[in-house]
Amino acid sequence: MQRDTPDNANPTILNVSQLPSRAQKRSTARVGSDSKYDSVVLSSPYWSDASSDDGQEAREEAADDALDEQEIYDLISTVSDPEHPHTLGELNVVRLPDIHLTPPRDNPRGLANVLVELTPTINHCSLATVIGLAVRVRLEQALPPNYRIDIRMKEGSHAQDDQVNKQLADKERVAAALENDTLGGVVDNMLKTCVL
Amino acid sequence: MANFKDWALQYVLTDEEPLQLEIAKKAAKEIEASNANRATVGNWAASVQPWMSRAQAGDDDQMEDGDDGGSGDIIARAKALGFLAGTLEALDKNILRADQIVFLVGFFGAMFSYDHKAGITASTKALRQLFGMKGFKPDMGVKMLEDVCKLKEDFRLQSVATRLEIYELFRSLIQDPAVSSELQHKHGSSCGFIVDLLQLCQHERDPRNLMLWFKILAILVADYSPSTEVADELFKTFSAYFPISLKSSSTPIGITADDLKEAVRSCFAAHQRVAPFAFPFLMQKLDQGDAVTVAVKLDIMRTIKACVERYEHPQASLVPYIEKIWGSLKYEVRNGEVKETIDATLDVLRAIAKKLDGSKTQKLDVALLKSYIDTVFKDCREDLANPTYTKQAGLLVMTVITANVRGYVLESAALLDCLRQNFRQPKSPSHTKDLLLILNSTLKARSGLVKNRSQGHLEDVEQLKTEPTAPLDALSHDIYLSTWAAKSSESSKENTDVLKQVLQGLALLVSQQTVQLDGETALLCSEKTCAEICTLLIQILVKGLTLSSNDNAANDASLEEEAQLALRTASSSYTPAYEEFARRAKAEIQKRDWANASSYSLDALRDLLFRLAFVGCSELPHKVVGGSAPSRSFSPLQHFITFTATLLELFPVAGSGSPAEPHERSLADSYVIGALHAGLLFFRDACIAKHSTDTLVSFSRDDTNWVQEFENLPDNWVQQLKSGEASDLRLTSIGEDDPEAYRQFLRLSLFIVRCLYRLAAAGTESQGVWSGRLLAQVANIAASIIRSLDEKLQTSCNLANEAFTFFSGGSAASSGQNASPFAELLTRGVLEGLWPGAMVELYNPGGVAETVMCHPPQLESHHLHQREIRASVALILANKYKGGASTADPESQTMKQVLCTWSDELKASAASDVDLGAFESLNMIAMHIFAGAVARQDKNVLDLVPVLKAAIASDHVGEVVSRSLGVLVKDSELHSAENHAVVRRFYKQWAYSQIAKPLYPLALPSENGPAAAARYRAAILSMVSNCAFNVYEADVETLIRLLITTLTDRGNISGQQLAAALEVLVEILANEPDALKSHLKAIIGGTVGVYEESLSKAQSSTKKDPSETSARKLVLQALAAIPKKFEERYLLSHSPRLQRVLALACGDAVREVRQAARLARGSWAKVK
Repeated sequence: MQRDTPDNANPTILNVSQLPSRAQKRSTARVGSDSKYDSVVLSSPYWSDASSDDGQEAREEAADDALDEQEIYDLISTVSDPEHPHTLGELNVVRLPDIHLTPPRDNPRGLANVLVELTPTINHCSLATVIGLAVRVRLEQALPPNYRIDIRMKEGSHAQDDQVNKQLADKERVAAALENDTLGGVVDNMLKTCVL
Repeated sequence: MANFKDWALQYVLTDEEPLQLEIAKKAAKEIEASNANRATVGNWAASVQPWMSRAQAGDDDQMEDGDDGGSGDIIARAKALGFLAGTLEALDKNILRADQIVFLVGFFGAMFSYDHKAGITASTKALRQLFGMKGFKPDMGVKMLEDVCKLKEDFRLQSVATRLEIYELFRSLIQDPAVSSELQHKHGSSCGFIVDLLQLCQHERDPRNLMLWFKILAILVADYSPSTEVADELFKTFSAYFPISLKSSSTPIGITADDLKEAVRSCFAAHQRVAPFAFPFLMQKLDQGDAVTVAVKLDIMRTIKACVERYEHPQASLVPYIEKIWGSLKYEVRNGEVKETIDATLDVLRAIAKKLDGSKTQKLDVALLKSYIDTVFKDCREDLANPTYTKQAGLLVMTVITANVRGYVLESAALLDCLRQNFRQPKSPSHTKDLLLILNSTLKARSGLVKNRSQGHLEDVEQLKTEPTAPLDALSHDIYLSTWAAKSSESSKENTDVLKQVLQGLALLVSQQTVQLDGETALLCSEKTCAEICTLLIQILVKGLTLSSNDNAANDASLEEEAQLALRTASSSYTPAYEEFARRAKAEIQKRDWANASSYSLDALRDLLFRLAFVGCSELPHKVVGGSAPSRSFSPLQHFITFTATLLELFPVAGSGSPAEPHERSLADSYVIGALHAGLLFFRDACIAKHSTDTLVSFSRDDTNWVQEFENLPDNWVQQLKSGEASDLRLTSIGEDDPEAYRQFLRLSLFIVRCLYRLAAAGTESQGVWSGRLLAQVANIAASIIRSLDEKLQTSCNLANEAFTFFSGGSAASSGQNASPFAELLTRGVLEGLWPGAMVELYNPGGVAETVMCHPPQLESHHLHQREIRASVALILANKYKGGASTADPESQTMKQVLCTWSDELKASAASDVDLGAFESLNMIAMHIFAGAVARQDKNVLDLVPVLKAAIASDHVGEVVSRSLGVLVKDSELHSAENHAVVRRFYKQWAYSQIAKPLYPLALPSENGPAAAARYRAAILSMVSNCAFNVYEADVETLIRLLITTLTDRGNISGQQLAAALEVLVEILANEPDALKSHLKAIIGGTVGVYEESLSKAQSSTKKDPSETSARKLVLQALAAIPKKFEERYLLSHSPRLQRVLALACGDAVREVRQAARLARGSWAKVK
């Protein structure tokens, strides 16, 4: 699959610090040279006091713990591109606003929907299906069985988005594609960079 | 007389070195005994005749055929000659007469002519011995050299070791002054012998031999005066090796490629007589373009630098080549991309400038240096206006100009003019940035020149005295402040970079010093300029607090970071800047009402306070005399005093008014105390950076009672020191580089601790400002200062007493009991930092320590943190106990008594029907006391084992005791070496074998009943989970059985107990998985059961229980580890079930658990 001339030889690459991450949202830690001893001199007392600020933080954390779009983004943004030595997050193929999650209501074991819209770097990308397939496999491996996964090309981002969407939605074709050793190998390679 | 022949025969026949040595020594003794008379020496020499004559008899053909007989002869002959050489080695160096030496030199020398196979090694050894004899004459050395050179082509055929011997001989000979002068006398200036030598050794390849050969060559170049032709030959010989490299070899020889490079380099740089060859050769190598790798380029640069530095008479050896060198080197910087090469090139250019200036004692003609700098400047002038090359051109000019004082004084004005012109018409923001960078580097280099002026020529200092200061002073307005004004309104990344350079430059400008006519230094800039610059820097740092959050939205933290670094640099020279900063900060902070502050204001307050700490304390101020420097007497502690006094004046910042918003108010005060602590730590680090830690140790001692001294001082002593109302000779008499500053810092800090403690002790009674958080911070400050004090000082200040009186002047015995629970935090702060030796007085029988440990005052409530504080105080007291002769507790009764009291308490509780809540508190304190004693391996602990056993057996209190047994071996910061805790190295092993091990039989179901057995299991696991694997390694089999029982027969054990069991399981999986092989089914079943149960518990309650979460996480970690440790055949049957469980676990409510589940799912997905 590694061809001599990639479809897009010069994609725009995002810096790792530009990618959306959970740490960005929550980080209030200071960074200057004057903050060297912050952890020593401003740490909360060693006893746990439920009535203080820390208790409140813990509660916020619990509410924050539900499976959300950011977590799904973290799962799939680390998938490698089949052509370039970059991840889908860095190439901006996967974007946080394009992940739509409908969490299960009331019953945590109820049905949930995940819709991921991918944006190929160019609109005639021949590997869009492979990328979609890898994202699907990754989510199937990482999400519980009550999550229904839907992968699509973002509207207008691909010349043949209808066809690609159809292929990705067809369970039979997905299963058949994964049976294919070459394709399976490519997908495995793409998923090697996923850590958790 | 016939002895020699026998010995020679024995020597030839044996292969053992010690025996050979013995024989040689005997022969030497014999010769010494005869006083080396002619007959004896003759006999000795003739003893090898049988082997020699055979060699002469055998024709050359036979020798060259090398058949068996021939090679046997060769070995025997070599050994026979070895006998002679060995004898010479053992012989007294004074015994042989000159004529005998001549004879032997002739004999061994002849070997080089006709016995190339057997004679060389031994003969060389012998010749080296003869060279060392007293009767040796220089002309013999000449003969030796000539003889050895007769080897010719056969030299290459000798073994490496033999060649090494020959090189050693050569080196000894040519290094010897007598032989050297004889050689020069005989061969004249042509030094013909050198040519013979070069021919002989020209093909050397062995690294060790090469090292020696290069040394010989360097000596020949430097110490002999060969004709140009011979010098050329010499140069060709060593330059043929350049650039040298070394193949990596499997057998290490102890010589690196760098050693070889250095050796070749020393040949190049040996003497200026090879300069006409060296410079063109090196330039030609450099100009080969892309063919030259970075490593080779670096080698070339370093070699040129070595030549420039070591050649003498630069007019003749360097000046003629400068133009060519510059022509080649400038492109290395101008178009270079590799930092190492650029740095090496600049080093060469700097070295040339230094050489042309002359040495410390003798200056050269100024025209040489001027012409060099002019050449460089001329070539770079245009580049400075070209944004692509500005940085590189600036680097080149700056490097040659600031290489020495003379160059700087001559040409800096021209460089500044040129930079000014370019500043007027900058091509782009990055052009401005590069120009600023050059200007800043020049200022930095100037500081270096002024600082190191005493190391240079006297003329340099004179020149610095007359340097005009106005052009530099003007820089602040002409360039820096005008650029700031132009760029500070827009915020873009490029502009920010420019502004950062401006800030750096301003700081450098303020710290510039000038040498006055009396030789003292003063600040270069006028008072007005310094004040203006510092006002700008202060303004940037205070801005956050003065502006509202909307106005300050575009604020760039990196600029503030740069500003604080700049202000630190500036205020360490221009000291009034820090006072002004502190004054402004204090005024701004006091303007606000901190009782109801927004979180933006609180963050701004925190930033400002910590910057105040960083700027004032992380660098010690420098002493600058005269000029615009302040007239107030200098002290390295002056900023520290200003800082601490300002913070003490501010505290309590929120006032003690109505507690409307207790959290915010305490946060503001907590920032003040936090900043104070940070300032102390910064100052300590600054002292360590300036003097080494070892030096400071001796300055943490004093034999006076500081605390007593403090009693005569007013409470606002530090504030008075700042305002000048009070003074202390010990503080003002410290010089800039005196480590005494550290001792005085400790003294001041202890005073501040005392102040805070007195405030806090008074405060806790009225419960005004003081929250638990604030008290903990103050206690932390006390701990960090007190632990830096030496044991004797702690004793002389009687700090152990102060732990209970809080510096109020009373005695510990009377106040120990009345402390409120929060006040115990203060006690803990002091005790934490004390050395055990400084606490002995507390332990007298019936004394404070015993009272505190045995009779804790009744707790008003059962708040967890109050129990923890009290328990930690008890732990420290139990841990730092020291009894025995010459202590306050000569019979070592106190600790025994304490442990006895607690064991009685446990016994009584186990037997009665106590309130569990109250028992839990008591048990916690008891366990912490035991833990303190266990870390010391106190033997009295052993008496507790039966009591603990009985307590666990109790149905009423047993569960509480079993759950808390892990405390005994739990790692705690109180056990750290920094806190001077007494911790034996193997105490965990000891505690495990003495306490946990006897519980194993009881943990198995027996007549005790299942509930008691479960409690014993919990107790064991609680201890084991706090130990490293190797502690319980021997009992792993039994432990696994206990684990499985715990996991499967869960009953109603808590999440905490389960977590302990799972932690142990994970440890065993990581260290000895094989032990678990036969129990896999039970373990997987048990862990999955734990997970499902914990999940249903979590789903039924709304509150998150951390111990349940960690139990689920640990289950998944253990499951993830299993497939990595066992073969698939053991796992296949469990796979389908686990895949289902793990897939569901990926939807857990807690993120960390989901992550662990994904890992486990991934690792089980591979089991097919």
